[in-house]
Formats: sequence, structure tokens, C-alpha cells
Amino acid sequence: MKPLTSAASAVLAACALTALAACGSSGSSSQPSAQPASPAPGGGPATSSATPAVAQFPVTISAPGGPVTIKAQPARIVSLSPTATEDLFAVGAGKQVVAVDLSSNYPSGVPKTSLNGVTPNVEAVAGYHPSLVVTDQDANGLVAGMKKLGVPVLVEPAAASIDEAYAQITQIGQATGHLASAQDVVAGMRANIAADLAKAGTAHSDLSYFWEVSANPYYSATSKTFAGSIAAMFGLKNIADAAAKAADGGYPQLTPEYILSAKPQIIFLTDNQATDGGQTPAVVAARPGWPAIPAVKNHEVIAMNDDVAARWGPRLPLLVAEIAAAVESAAGK
Amino acid sequence: MITVRDLTVTLDQTRVLHGVSCQTPPGGWLCLIGPNGAGKSTVLRAAAGLLAYGGTIRLGEADLGSLRGRARARAIAYVPQAPVLPPDMLVADYVLLGRTPHLGYLSRPGRRDRLVAEAALDKLDVSQFTGRRLEQMSGGERQRVVLARALAAEPSVLLLDEPTSMLDIGHQQQVLELVDGLRRSAGLTVVSTLHDLTIAGQYADELVLLNAGRVAAAGSAVAVLTPGLIAEVYGARVEVRKGHDGRPVVAPVRNVQ
Amino acid sequence: MKPRRPGSRAALIGAAAAFVVAAALVSVFVGAANLNPVAVATALAGKIPFLGVHSGLSALDSAVLFQIRLPRIVLGALVGALLAVTGAGYQGVFRNPLVDSGMLGASAGAGLGATIAIVYLGGLGPAVVPVAAFTGSLAGVAIASLAGAIGAARGSLGSGPATLLLAGIAVGMFLTAAQTVVLQRSTQVLQQVYSWLLGSLSGASWQQVIEILPYAGVSVAVILLHGRHLDVLSVGDDEARALGINPRAVRAIAIGSCALAAAAAVAVSGLIGFVGIIVPHVARRLAGPSYLTVLPLSLLGGAGFLVLADTLARTVLAPAELPIGVVTALIGAPAFIWVLRGTRAVDT
Ligand SMILES: Nc1ncnc2c1ncn2[C@@H]1O[C@H](COP(=O)(O)OP(=O)(O)OP(=O)(O)O)[C@@H](O)[C@H]1O
Ligand SMILES: [Mg+2]
Repeated sequence: MKPLTSAASAVLAACALTALAACGSSGSSSQPSAQPASPAPGGGPATSSATPAVAQFPVTISAPGGPVTIKAQPARIVSLSPTATEDLFAVGAGKQVVAVDLSSNYPSGVPKTSLNGVTPNVEAVAGYHPSLVVTDQDANGLVAGMKKLGVPVLVEPAAASIDEAYAQITQIGQATGHLASAQDVVAGMRANIAADLAKAGTAHSDLSYFWEVSANPYYSATSKTFAGSIAAMFGLKNIADAAAKAADGGYPQLTPEYILSAKPQIIFLTDNQATDGGQTPAVVAARPGWPAIPAVKNHEVIAMNDDVAARWGPRLPLLVAEIAAAVESAAGK
Repeated sequence: MITVRDLTVTLDQTRVLHGVSCQTPPGGWLCLIGPNGAGKSTVLRAAAGLLAYGGTIRLGEADLGSLRGRARARAIAYVPQAPVLPPDMLVADYVLLGRTPHLGYLSRPGRRDRLVAEAALDKLDVSQFTGRRLEQMSGGERQRVVLARALAAEPSVLLLDEPTSMLDIGHQQQVLELVDGLRRSAGLTVVSTLHDLTIAGQYADELVLLNAGRVAAAGSAVAVLTPGLIAEVYGARVEVRKGHDGRPVVAPVRNVQ
Repeated sequence: MKPRRPGSRAALIGAAAAFVVAAALVSVFVGAANLNPVAVATALAGKIPFLGVHSGLSALDSAVLFQIRLPRIVLGALVGALLAVTGAGYQGVFRNPLVDSGMLGASAGAGLGATIAIVYLGGLGPAVVPVAAFTGSLAGVAIASLAGAIGAARGSLGSGPATLLLAGIAVGMFLTAAQTVVLQRSTQVLQQVYSWLLGSLSGASWQQVIEILPYAGVSVAVILLHGRHLDVLSVGDDEARALGINPRAVRAIAIGSCALAAAAAVAVSGLIGFVGIIVPHVARRLAGPSYLTVLPLSLLGGAGFLVLADTLARTVLAPAELPIGVVTALIGAPAFIWVLRGTRAVDT
């Protein structure tokens, strides 16, 4: 756990630094595909939400669910997605956020409400008089309902790749009038992730891993999933890939027999916190038969930050760092 | 052997019996008659321990209320007017249920129980049906199977609610003769209801005519089965002749304009 | 049903016992780990004292066989037996062949208990979920029984089992709704709760077997000893009382022990449907309606059925696994319809 915590704080510090430094030249691939693009290069400090945004609005965002036009810089934002909440605060739009859903828990001090992002209530959302709603799914007729009220809804669904995650951050920056700092955030993330990949190496096809989504029954994530694609950057072999079926959406249920006989060298637990299963490395080591697995024998059972592992926001470098630390340790054995 | 004093029963806040008294000695046959809704079944249900009642019911010297469930069930067998017949149950298993009062809480029917059940089936002329399901029997056959279950309990008191309503005249006679023989040979006390007044008069020692929860008349067949009482209680026009054994024969008379 | 031949009860029960052994044997030789059958047989023989056979299995394969596969088979047999005998018991109590082991708020209570544990008590570790499911299941039945008793005292349906059954349905719906409310508070755990609801034996361990054995033993013994009383109940409360049986006491004892059995099963396996309906139904088709035979036959049939169903669950998609509740429904539903094909209308 120690190396992880220090790695995490290092990443966070790096993020904060880059955000503050705000050196205008951002990577071109993170350029949003927006109509009135071309924001002023080298804009003001990212932390300043008072950036004159008039020039950037109205803006049309090519969101995954279709174009969304935002007439003026939104002063009251409601976020119904924990990832979007992280994105909003990371790009410097935090002061505009008036309400976040009950699952949003980062960064600390977000204006948490009882709003439910999975089964949203249109009237309850409207009660916050939002000028922009950000969510990860259009449930309960949210988009249609808010449209009647003239409120744009930006739907940023679960990212399938890391580039989609970057694009979402940039879009959220653009939609809130913080494009430049969003680009800086993305650039910082890229730099961090690249550094971790360079350090841990990307050719670990000899290392196999089991990504535990939940226990009893054991659900895993294949390389096709977002989390799996992150681990795949290290070249790791995912034991769930051989078990994947078209119908399981990348999340097959594995028999414990198979997990044992696949002999994974690393086990990533994304269900180890008290709120989502409590499957700590100690619990795993006590499972019948599991001590025979190399990962358990060699203490390569990694308690991930479950929230970070399940989201696709600005803390992605932390996820990469956690994996990198495990890879370095396992490769050394 | 069975003595009923001032029996009152209230069902659903309606008083159904208003102080009914009647009795019969060991080996006697008491028959309750009366129009529909008079309270005949209610008297039998009270005597079977199925209803809360006022007044007293005595079995010999013992008060019915003081007997615990199994002891009471060993003494009194009850055949309801409309028995519940599980359609899938085998005749043999059904009759064996009659042995329940003789079994300890955790014991199962043994050899003797089976022999008694088989004998009861024989007596009622249904032993050829033992392997059948109840639903595969005719109405009359079912009624005889139910009687066999009651006899399998080897009771000292038999409560029969309309035991022959579905039987043809031959089986009616056969069943009633059988019960009559049992009470004479084994001292079985019988309390029954019967709608056929002539038959009631032929088999019972004592008739009790109920009307609206009260005893309208009681006594021998000759005393109770009079055209006047029957007209008053049933609203029926009948003529009563004297049969060859001296017992009354009740025949309805058609209203010819 | 043909006339019963003497000894057919013993023959049926013997056949059912053979079915359990056969199911276990099939199950022990197949699995995602593809263990060598000869090595498995030798390893098993090695457990027989004084035989002195040495297993050819590696440490890991041996762990797969003795710590994963075997406890899972034993736990599956135990859970299947409990679910089926509970279903049969409830069917006798309620004189209704469509009643299931999850009735009377048992499943709904377990679901609510597990959800509360997952959402609010996660800090106490994963071991709290089975305890909460067990407690919830028993509490569900207790609440339903209380509601049924109040309904019987005041209501128009009388004190018979129908009032209790209806109260159980109402309480079950209420508890399920309460569970949904709790879930709404914490949508991150949806996946965890739903995979629990689908039922699974994938966490099976010898420890679980040992933990539920006392509850299973006591409840099954009590249920089996009341087969004759359930037969008497089938002629209705009035006639049962006239036969010297106290129907309320019998129902209370049977419901209590069935609730205990179902709670023990649900605690280690989650919600597995269909076993409690289909197995007793097949037992009745084979043996007739007497609970003296239906109960032991259901016990054994349920054990064999669930072992087979779980074998399919862990092999059909191997190395992936199907939720066992899906398997019992997938093979249970068509089998049930096939059985109904020959069932007379009066059964229900
Ligand atoms: N549960 C009940 N609640 C209220 N009234 C009842 C109940 N059961 C029966 N009664 C009434 O009690 C009266 C006596 O019923 P009982 O069954 O004793 O009549 P009976 O003499 O046996 O009639 P029958 O010849 O039709 O069988 C009837 O008026 C009936 O409507
Ligand atoms: Mg009557």
C-alpha cells in the first residue's frame, strides 16, 4: 500500500501543478471538435473562473449523444455523474456547480445532493434552476424533460477508450468556458501517464492479471473494457479475455476454478472498499484455494482506489500509477 | 353416552343455536332433523369440538371441553356434510388418516393401523378401490370411503352429517344397516342428521326436530313425525302412514288444484 | 397414478439417493479447470483412509478439487435439498402446489437484509452479508406471520392459510419495495446487489457448509417428522381438528422450520428460484401426494437437481460461468412445462 499512496500523491501534485502552470500550448489531438472552435491561445489562468467567456459562447459541443448548443457561459451547473463532477472541478468550473448527484464524492466539498443520476427526477433537477446539466446517461426522459425547460443537457457516457476520456474533459471545459484549462488538464494527464508507462514498461505479455469487479459471483473486466484498455497499455495479459462472450459486454462471470487454474500473477481488486464489497487483499487470501494463486502467494493482490477504477475522469493517472506500481513489483519477481 | 345441555352457538355475531338439549344412551342412535339452516350441522360441529359453544356437552361422565384434542378424536369420529377430499390422495391413504388419533405425535401408521383401515374399507364395500385416487371415485363411492375413514378411528361416538345424501337406495340401506349393526354389536353411539324422514324414523331411537336453532320436538319417530309438526316446521304437505313395522312412512303430497 | 405397489416408497427414495450420488460424481469430474479425471479419481481415493493411494494432482489442482469443487458440490446439494424440502413443506402447509420456498417474505426479507448489509454495513466486511440475509429472511417470515395473524383475527378470510399467504405476498412486495428504496440511495452497489439476487454458489467453502449444517439439520429433521401431519392438513382445518391434530400448531412448526431452512439456504447462495416448486412437483408426480414420501423425495431430488444445475452453470460457458438462478430457470421452466403437460387440472 505504501508505494501506491506515495504514487497517488505524486500524481495529484503533478496534476495540480500543471493546472496552475497553465502553459497554453496543449496537444492538438485533444482539440475539441466544436463549431466555433479556436479559443484564444494561451488564455488566462485556468483557476480563474472569471475568464471572459463571452467570445466562446454560444458554443456547440459534439457530444457523443449528438450536438448540444450552449448559449452563454452556464452559471448554474448540475452534475449527475461522478466522473463529470470530477471533470468540472478539474477544469476550474467548480464554482459554477450548484448541485451534484449522491454518488459524486470527489473532490471533497462538492455540493452533494440527493439527486440520483441513475434514476433522475426531472423536477428535482429543475429545482436547482440549472443552466447546464451534465450526466452520463439519459435516463427517465431527462434530456427531453430538460429540453422543454430550455436547459441543455450534456451526456458524457462511460468512455470506451482513454482518448474518449480526454475528449470528454475538453468538451466539459468548452461547455463551461474553461477550454484552455481543460486542455491543460489533459496535457498534464498525458504527461503523467506517459511517464508511468515509460518507467514500468509496456511489454509485459508474460504477466497475467485478474481484474475483480465483484466477488461471489466473480465478475471481471476484459481488455475490451475501459479499465482493461488501461491495463493493456502495459502489455499485460487479461485472464478474462479467454472467457469473454459477446453477450457479457466485456464483464464475464468467471468460475473460481477458472481463476485459480489461470494462475494470474496480479489481482486488481476494484471491490475492496467497505462501500462496494469489502474484498480486501486479506479477504482474498482467506478464500478457499486462493493461496495457491501466484498473485496471492507473491502478495500481488492490489487494493485499487475503487472510485478511480470505475471512473474515466481527471484522476486516470492515479489508476495508471496504481497499475504501474503493481507491474513493476510483479515483474521484479 | 352423549348428553347435550342448553347448547348455544354464535357464529359471526349471529346466534345460531338457542339452548338445544338432547341425549342418547350408549349404543343409541340420535337423529337430528329439521329444515335447511335449522342448526343440525352446527350441533354436530360443536360435539366434534370444532366450535366454541355455551352450555355443556358430556361424553359419558366427561365434559367435552376437558378432553384434549387426541383423546376427544379417539372417542368421537366426525363425518362432515361436505368432506374435503384431496383429489390426488389414494383411497388407502385417506382411510388411514382415520387412524390419526391413535398415533403418537412422531409415530407413523403401523401394521395394526393398516389392518383396521383395510377392515373398514371392506365393511363399506370399497376395498377394491384402495389404489385409486379420490377424484377417480363416484360421489357415492366417496361417501362410503369417508365413512370408512370414520370407522377406522374405532370411535365410541360417530357423528354423521348427511352420510347417505349421495347413495343409491341399495347403498343407503347397506350403510345404515352397517352403522346400525355396529351400534348394536360394539355399543357405538350414533348422532346423525338425515333429510329423509322415513329413513330417519326407521333407524333412530330418538328424533330431535330442530327449527331455527331450537328444539321443536323430540322423542320417538311416531311422536315427532306428524303431518301437523312437519307442516309447521318445514311448510311441507305430507301424509304419514304406518309402515309394516309400525314406524311412520312420510310421503309428500302434491298440491293438485 | 397407478395403484401403489408395496415397497415403492423405499424404491423411490433409493432411486433419488442414487440420483444424488450420480449427480455428485458427474459434477466432481467436470469443471473449468479441466482436471485430469484419472488424477481426480486417484486424489479422491487418496482421501479414503488406509488405502494409501497418492494423488497425482499439483498443489494448485488439488486446491481446485478439494477447496473449490468439492465444497461447492456439497453446498449445492445442501442448498438444493433445503430449497426443495422447504417448497414441499410450504405446499403442504398452504395446500397449494404453487407456493415456493421464498414465500412469506422469506426471499424479499433476505434481499432487503443483504442490500442493507451491502449498502450500510460494508465496513463490517463481506461476511456480514450472509448473516444479514439469514436474519432478513427470518424477519420477513416473522413479519408476514404477524400480519397474517392480525388479518386472521380481524379479516374476512378466516384463520386459514389463505390469509397468511396473502399477507406474505403483501409483506414480500413491501420488503422488495423497501429494498429498492435502499438501493436508490447507493447506486454504485447495484451490480453487487443484483449478482447476489441472481444467486450463486461460487463462494462455496467448507466453512459455509459447516456454518449452515446445524440449521439445515434441525429444520430438515423437524420438517420430515411432520410429513404425516401435513397429510392430515390436506383434509382441511376442521377435519384435521376432528382427527385430533391442531392445524395452527402444525402450521406454526412447519412454517418455522421451513423458514429456518430457507434462511440457511439463502444466506450462502442468494436467491435461487424454481427449485422449491419444480422438485416437489416432480416428487408428487412420481409418488403421489403423501408428504411422508414427497418430503424425503424432494430433499434428495433437490440436492441432485441443484448439483446438476450448478455443474451446468460452471461448465456450459466455461471458463465463464452462468448465474445459477438463470440455469435453474432455464432448465427448470421447460422441465416444469413438460411435467405440467401430464398434470390434471385439479392439481391446482
Ligand atoms: N360461519 C357462519 N356464520 C354465520 N352463520 C352461519 C355460519 N355457518 C352457518 N351459519 C348459519 O347457521 C345456521 C345453521 O346452519 P347449519 O349448517 O347448522 O344448518 P343445517 O341445519 O345443517 O342446514 P342444512 O340442512 O342445510 O345442512 C344457518 O342459518 C346458517 O346460515
Ligand atoms: Mg347441515
